[in-house]
Amino acid sequence: MLASILSVVADAVLITLVLALAASGLAVIFGLIGVINLGHGAMLTLGAYLMWWMTSHGVPFVPAVLLAATGVGLVGLLLEHVLIRHFYDEPFETLLLTWGFFLVATEVIKLVFGTDFRNVPNPLPATISLAGLELPAYRSLVGLISLLVLLVLAGVLFRTGVGIKVRALVQNREVASLLGLNVGLVYKQVFVAGAFLAGLAGALISPMLSIDPYIGNVFLVRSFFAVTVGGLGQILAGTLVGSFVVGGSETIFALVSSQVFAQTVVFALAIVLLRFRPTGLIGLRR
Amino acid sequence: MVKVTLRKDGVTRRTLLGSLATAGAAAVAMPWTVRQPWAASPIRFGVISPLTGAWTVYGKAHFSGFELAVDEINKAGGVLGRPVEIVVGDSKTEPRIVVEQANRLVRQERVDFLAGTFSSAERNAAGPVVQQTGKLLLYPTWYEGQSQEFYPGVCNKNIFMFGPEPSQQVWPFIDYITKNHGKKFFLIGSDYAWPRETNKMFKEKFAELGGQVVGEVYIPFNTPQYDSVLRDIKNAGTEVIFHSLTGSDTVNFRRQLHAAGMSKDITLWTVDDEEVVTSGLGPEVSAGTYVSFDYFMTIDQPNNKAFLERFFAKYGKDALMNTVGVGMYNAAHMGAMAIAKAGSTDTNKVREALKGLTFDGAPQGPVTMRAEDNQAVVPSYLMRVRPGWTSVTDMFEQIQALPSVQPKPAACKSLPL
Repeated sequence: MLASILSVVADAVLITLVLALAASGLAVIFGLIGVINLGHGAMLTLGAYLMWWMTSHGVPFVPAVLLAATGVGLVGLLLEHVLIRHFYDEPFETLLLTWGFFLVATEVIKLVFGTDFRNVPNPLPATISLAGLELPAYRSLVGLISLLVLLVLAGVLFRTGVGIKVRALVQNREVASLLGLNVGLVYKQVFVAGAFLAGLAGALISPMLSIDPYIGNVFLVRSFFAVTVGGLGQILAGTLVGSFVVGGSETIFALVSSQVFAQTVVFALAIVLLRFRPTGLIGLRR
Repeated sequence: MVKVTLRKDGVTRRTLLGSLATAGAAAVAMPWTVRQPWAASPIRFGVISPLTGAWTVYGKAHFSGFELAVDEINKAGGVLGRPVEIVVGDSKTEPRIVVEQANRLVRQERVDFLAGTFSSAERNAAGPVVQQTGKLLLYPTWYEGQSQEFYPGVCNKNIFMFGPEPSQQVWPFIDYITKNHGKKFFLIGSDYAWPRETNKMFKEKFAELGGQVVGEVYIPFNTPQYDSVLRDIKNAGTEVIFHSLTGSDTVNFRRQLHAAGMSKDITLWTVDDEEVVTSGLGPEVSAGTYVSFDYFMTIDQPNNKAFLERFFAKYGKDALMNTVGVGMYNAAHMGAMAIAKAGSTDTNKVREALKGLTFDGAPQGPVTMRAEDNQAVVPSYLMRVRPGWTSVTDMFEQIQALPSVQPKPAACKSLPL
């Protein structure tokens, strides 16, 4: 009995952390600077494809992850510089622009990398035994990295000068710019950081999933729910709580019902939560 | 000369004027040419393939199988002295688009018959269209079998099935798997008609052989994480997983099953993962699993060898073929043979000619279209994935081979169709 409770907890924790990693880029771009980034899925996909391309050309795993994330960060920089920076005042336009980016990026990925299933070999194929549980080693590592990424993000946001600037921008853009903050530069840094994180997530998740041109979409809707249910701007606690509600709780519902029903209940729950707490579970009442 | 035909349906003043103007211009341009009317009119085959969207990975083999066959037909002089022309429609893997494309191909492009669609949902979407327009649809995919409930997508006299159904693809091998790997089966499939109906058929035979179903789950499309399902599989004491997930879900599930260390204790038998998906899985994840189909690139058949040589020559040595591509290949050839036999492209005559027709050149071995329910009688193979395979040429090891499997009679209201 204890063992099965433990295994449910372990499953829920792993699912939550992997989803939190996938959502972290969106938590930054959407949560902090309010760009409704529908291109988030395409950024994950691009990260996964770059990862595949490099590992199949003999680049070792860790540098490949960093290069893939940097590559997506650069694409984010280009996107921000050419298009997004002109539209920070208009969330609806950013929604259309990023959706356009998603469509274009997906087709370009198909042209460049083809439409066959690709795969990145799992660098840690073993399992680890922990308190009578067998956990997949790589998945657990990704869970830890996810936690680390969120902690670092929170640290940057609350303990550094850059973080103060970002928070000033989020709280009141006009006053921040009156006080001499280079608003455009901070926006740019945040957007590129979000793209980098999406690329990092895509690269790290790629050994667990099949890589096809739509791999990122699996996480797009879940990421949006995780970020909004958790609360916009709540990088650490919000993303984790949101990911638990959208991902981790599913494994608990699945104990007593079918998978289909569990997923339905989870999304319904997310909608109900947003009805009663529109700013998210951790979000402040404004 | 440009021929102007007046059709009862849909000649508007604009198209009529347009045609007359073109005819006039052509007459001025080339006053001395006289063209024989039949020599210039090709027979038109309409093809609906999933060229974009979720099932794009299958779309390539799907379309190239058909295209290869049409090339061969034209090289051999066409049908009834006329060349064959393909008109292609992209289904975008969406049943809604299939309806649009089927209507376009039949009503605007005036094709002589339709081949293709990929999933059962796509075929079911095309069913009413071929019913109303009186055209044939040649369907290439392995599927759940015909039952009146899903009319007009099945049990439709205008639809011919070239792929295997569960009594051909699954039933013959239950005995081998249970004897060698145990009788406790866990059924996992995607949540739509094909896996549910396939499992229904599977359980019918499985119960007779004394097997025990310890779990049965259906997974919504695009599910990224499988931890809770894997836990259920483990806790149920599963010996064999009977697997009918599709698309990227199949790859995601199987990679995670392997990463959880469960693939060494539990045997997996899939009725979905052909060459394309197995390539996507890679050798490590797929090693030792069973797959059953009517065709594999590795089967030892003289037809197959020659077929693959022509296939590689046209599409390159890395191109992938599979059961669906071969289904399309057979559909094109048998469609052409039926037109030749009927001496006409009239639907009623072609339908009669196709019933009972045998194609000896099929890559998997001779294939016969059963007259009473339009279901192909095909060979069936059980293969095991070799550990450490490097390409499709050494991917599968043949475990059992049946040269010709009679499907169970279709569960339609009235037979023959």
